Amino acid sequence: MRRDSPTAPGAARATLRLAVSDFRHEWRVSACLVLALAAVLAPLLVLFGLKSGIVSTMRDRLITDPRNLEVVIAGSYALGPEWFAALEQRNDVGFLVPRTRSLAATVDLLEPGGKSLAAVEMVPTGAGDPLLRQVLPPAGPGEVLLSHSAARSLGVADGAIVTALIARTVQGERQVARQPLTVRGVLPEAVFGRDGAFVTLDLLVGAEDYRDGKAASLNGAPPTPDRAYSSARLFARDLDAVGPLADVLRGGGMEVRTRADDIETVKAIDRTLSFIFTVVAGIAVTGYLLSLAASLWANVDRKRRELALMRLVGFPTASVVAFPAIQALLIALIGVALSAAVAWGVAEAFNVTLSANLAQQEFVCRLLPGDLAVSAAVTIVLALIASSIGGYRAARFDPAESLRDI
Amino acid sequence: MLLDLRDMACQRGEGESGFRLEVPALSLRAGEAVAITGPSGCGKSTLLDVIGLVLQPTALGAFRFNGQDVGSLWAGRQRDRLAGSRASGIGYILQTGGLLPFITVRENLRLSRTLLNLRHDEAAERRLVEVLGIGRLLDKMPSALSIGERQRVAIGRALSHRPPLILADEPTASLDPAHSDAVMALMLALVADLGQTVVVVSHDWELVTRFGLRRIEAQVSAGPGGTVTRFAA
Repeated sequence: MRRDSPTAPGAARATLRLAVSDFRHEWRVSACLVLALAAVLAPLLVLFGLKSGIVSTMRDRLITDPRNLEVVIAGSYALGPEWFAALEQRNDVGFLVPRTRSLAATVDLLEPGGKSLAAVEMVPTGAGDPLLRQVLPPAGPGEVLLSHSAARSLGVADGAIVTALIARTVQGERQVARQPLTVRGVLPEAVFGRDGAFVTLDLLVGAEDYRDGKAASLNGAPPTPDRAYSSARLFARDLDAVGPLADVLRGGGMEVRTRADDIETVKAIDRTLSFIFTVVAGIAVTGYLLSLAASLWANVDRKRRELALMRLVGFPTASVVAFPAIQALLIALIGVALSAAVAWGVAEAFNVTLSANLAQQEFVCRLLPGDLAVSAAVTIVLALIASSIGGYRAARFDPAESLRDI
Repeated sequence: MLLDLRDMACQRGEGESGFRLEVPALSLRAGEAVAITGPSGCGKSTLLDVIGLVLQPTALGAFRFNGQDVGSLWAGRQRDRLAGSRASGIGYILQTGGLLPFITVRENLRLSRTLLNLRHDEAAERRLVEVLGIGRLLDKMPSALSIGERQRVAIGRALSHRPPLILADEPTASLDPAHSDAVMALMLALVADLGQTVVVVSHDWELVTRFGLRRIEAQVSAGPGGTVTRFAA
């Protein structure tokens, strides 16, 4: 042999350079293919984003909203220690604390600057109260957690000291007990929408006894173990336990309310949204894959003449397959990047315009890195397969015939 | 002997509409200039494709090219080794379209050298460019060139890696007579200068006679088995 045959690195380098040159030379066609890809993929990514944003937000709200776990006991009863002990035995009870008569459980709050708030509802709380989440419960009768609206009306924040005023009338004479309270936290509006002061049970019992004239001051003796309470705050362990727990209390002759209907509604919306999403995403994904494969396949057919000349010049089969595959890879990479950028912009716009309806840490549209990675991987693999099959077909074709077909 | 082909046949179709190309014996010596002539559609290009390792014959006695047994490569479906032999052993000049449209004239000229990973030969390239008169075209894209200019660049592309065999399929058919003579003369002079073998397909007898090429002529006969073309030296 007079001379060596083409070397693999020579062919590989030449093929790469030719593929990129052609991609740039035909930039209008390349741009069309990239835009066509992005035009389908970007809305699909937004759809994925909405799924992980709004739908998840709704489900999270439903599942994590502690108010949905509450079994509200209406009316006034005489609930003794046996009743509480029996309930605490149940493993579907998440949190249980006794409650005093609602009329005795109000307090006037006074802030050092002079602002005041009358008849604030005192809510007994303690460790494990689902409404508190990360906030620590008050450590003693001298501490309080305020609801958002109460804190705003008083203009106080964490660490402030407010004065609780509890009034009673003894033999025609009005008496007032004062109790300084340190604000240990403010509960978000989503958790408790009204004015409320979350305090220890001891303070509530003290207030009730003071109002009833049983004690001379708020800090009387701690409640006796055999004391009966008129009501209780009760939370189920999880959503599914709410119904059965309510039924048990109803069976005991109590009137209770739950958010069962709300829960069912949101669950139904979630199911419907998930179904609609699945259908829309299914159609879009199918259309996307078909259009991507078809346009890349057609692109290879368009290049048959150039591929035939490359074969005539002596490029190996691998080069003829790789040439369109490299271009398809470029189209896929640029298309995915463009789609991600567009979808990200749209998601940001959604989140900003619709942020009024959202709490912090909540999104209307949220692009998950995992979704992006999967769509990029699927796009690239499919692009490579479609273009390689096209290139392989071109490689099987008689190059002379393709060339004279001019 | 650069190329030795024996008892080759290409069959297309059956019966009266069938076509058969037969070559009992064909040899090409190094440095030879040969013309394949015959009427249009007689199978000249088909023969060129067989010589050019592009088309697999339906029957083959023996086929050696450039020290390689092409017959066994075809039989063993060694497409990439055939492509390798094409890349280093053959330079093609087509009637039109012998250039890649998406790279410059300069890159087209260097295409085969890049593929073969050959060292860039500045002096040889300059000489080729000078003789072909394409110096001012080097940075243009092929689409910016006239047909005649493209054909000159295509000749340069086929010759740049100095393959031992040049195959030219009607290289001047798309040019007007004046240009046609000039381009043919240029190609033959370059080939002779480098000691390469050249096979020109042409239906223009007069042109072939004028340049004094050895002629391989088509003998066309029609029979019950369809058209048969025999090429004999």
